[in-house]
Amino acid sequence: MEESVEAREIRGWKLKLVWAWVLTIPIMLIMYSGMVFGIEIVPMKYMPISLLILGFPVIFIIGWGTIKAGTRGFFKLRFSMDSLISMGTIVAYATGFLAFFELTQDYSGVSSMIMTIFITGKFIESKARGQASKEIKKLLELGAKKAVVLRGKKEVEVPIEEVGVGDIFIVKPGEKIPTDGVVTRGESTVDESMVTGESLPVDKTVKSHVIGATINQDGVLYVKASKVGDDTFLAHIIELVEEAQGTKIPIQKFADSVTNVFVPIILTVAVLTFIGWIAATGDWSRSIGVGISVLVIACPCALGLATPIALMVGSGMGAKKGILIRKGEAIQTMKEIKIIVFDKTGTITKGKPEVTDVYSVLKKNEASVIEKTAALEKLSEHPIGKAIVEYGNLSKFKNVTKFKILRGRGVEGVLDKKKMLIGNTALMKERNVDISKIKEVLEEYETGGKTTMIVAEGGKVIGVIAVADTVKEESKKVIHYLRRQGFRTVMITGDNERTAKAIAKQVGIDEVIANVLPEDKSNKVKELQKRGMVAFVGDGINDAPALKQANVGIAMGTGTDIAIEAGDIVLASGSLRGVPQAIVLSKATFGKIKQNLFWAFAYNVVAIPLAIAGFLHPVIAEIAMALSSITVVTNANLLRRKRI
Amino acid sequence: MKKIKLTIEGMHCAACAGIAEKELRKVPGVKEVSVSVTTNKGFVYAEDSVSEESLKKAVAEAGYKVVGVK
Repeated sequence: MEESVEAREIRGWKLKLVWAWVLTIPIMLIMYSGMVFGIEIVPMKYMPISLLILGFPVIFIIGWGTIKAGTRGFFKLRFSMDSLISMGTIVAYATGFLAFFELTQDYSGVSSMIMTIFITGKFIESKARGQASKEIKKLLELGAKKAVVLRGKKEVEVPIEEVGVGDIFIVKPGEKIPTDGVVTRGESTVDESMVTGESLPVDKTVKSHVIGATINQDGVLYVKASKVGDDTFLAHIIELVEEAQGTKIPIQKFADSVTNVFVPIILTVAVLTFIGWIAATGDWSRSIGVGISVLVIACPCALGLATPIALMVGSGMGAKKGILIRKGEAIQTMKEIKIIVFDKTGTITKGKPEVTDVYSVLKKNEASVIEKTAALEKLSEHPIGKAIVEYGNLSKFKNVTKFKILRGRGVEGVLDKKKMLIGNTALMKERNVDISKIKEVLEEYETGGKTTMIVAEGGKVIGVIAVADTVKEESKKVIHYLRRQGFRTVMITGDNERTAKAIAKQVGIDEVIANVLPEDKSNKVKELQKRGMVAFVGDGINDAPALKQANVGIAMGTGTDIAIEAGDIVLASGSLRGVPQAIVLSKATFGKIKQNLFWAFAYNVVAIPLAIAGFLHPVIAEIAMALSSITVVTNANLLRRKRI
Repeated sequence: MKKIKLTIEGMHCAACAGIAEKELRKVPGVKEVSVSVTTNKGFVYAEDSVSEESLKKAVAEAGYKVVGVK
């Protein structure tokens, strides 16, 4: 299983933790009982040897992983956290031998304590890291384990791995949909919130696409598997989120460059401190103690972990809402964004035409106009025709004969022995149908950016149907919110000025750029960038170059497919509401990163001089070090308090 | 070009991820690397000729272990 590495690590640290304390508690009793309680558990004479014996397994068996990695670093000149701890504990342990000759104070017991505290800190940190990856782990475990597949006429339950593309599977109410597919039979609503973040259940009928791992709610669905294994929507989301974790955030570069030179510098500083103390005091015991403190207090871990851990919590929170951060850089750039550019079709609008108005020449005869039109349009494959059929929502259609598609103009046919003609003004003129009576209606609709279909029966106009690509329910609210936040909102589209302006007015957008060819969108973004940082919101397929050109590219998923390759942030739900959410999330995550880096730097800047000055006993120093990296991880977990 | 996902064990801190990245980048044919200490995952973009073995060796060189390749 995927997540076992982490689980194994936590288990490993836990085992080490238990044994380290089992040995270190007696060490502490031997060391301090005489001092605190006045009881000598081990006669003074045998104390050094007993500390060395008890301490050996703590450092060299339980702590072997750290010692091995640390000493290896010295040979390869590749230093890490482990190098500091190894050097600190080995030097401290060695004083146990020097103590035989009464050359120095015996720090060998302290050495075990340092190792044990280090291990304890690592254990707590690994637990907290597990907490930080909670949402991502949930995503990994989201997939269904089993499916009920139709084999011949029998329903067979099989493990998910055995489901192949083209298999028909059955999903009962309340069950998890095993994999991506297309409904072949049945009707139901499906809760897709766990994958897309969309909180409202989605209706599914024959031909609807369903997403694996979502929950079927009320009906039985027969679904033909279209994608399995690594090709599914969920698998793509997981990969996208996981891959994002390793991406770099600019602010981290400084921390990384510090981390890279940090350990060698600390090693040098520790040696210099030791030499300085010897020179100043001549006290070997004290000087060694101070040197060890410097080694073990320095915490490159907190610095290195500050950014990735906050990114992980942030992207996990986002994933839960269908906001997928692909590039860590985007969360830093987001706070500089001044202009948000929206593609029109499919982003602000639904991307498919819908009937908006029906006009009838005879009063209260709209239903009949629709009924007749739908009967003809049922036979056409045109998207506008489909919109009319959908709008009519009829169970029966009247019989049409002599149906003919008049490409680019409309359709014709015979219905109830009357000749029907449906189409644009050009078609009506061509057939000498008088449209003077509806001139005003046509004008009104067209100024509103709508496409009109004139319906004529027996050579006379009986009505007009207006169709338009309607705006999404949330568009107006989202754009209003963004404007209030101080963003300049821009809509870009290939539509003509009139249609574009009509839509812009409906949603209250600041600026419209119309008549833009798809390939010119990225150039328009470039022009806008002269005025400030630009975020582009669009679908990942047609708008890929513009998404790339923008400082932050936000790609809209279409609900069942996500364009993995484009966009710094992907909105799985395809809802515009994801845009303000992504902005809030990015800002909160970046804020947390800054906070973490500040604390990590501040800790080292304060603690190291204190250690050099000799104010901190090595054990205290090690406790401080462990706490500082735990703090960074815990602080990152606090990001969850932010509501997005 | 291909994309390889490695599951890596033994990285304790972010500096470790950096070391693993550095070693992986040294492998001839490797174009892009990103290793995350938080998820124990490494993503490598490399030419088709790059073998899994060479990547495993690079990670071992850094002092960690590849426990999964996909």
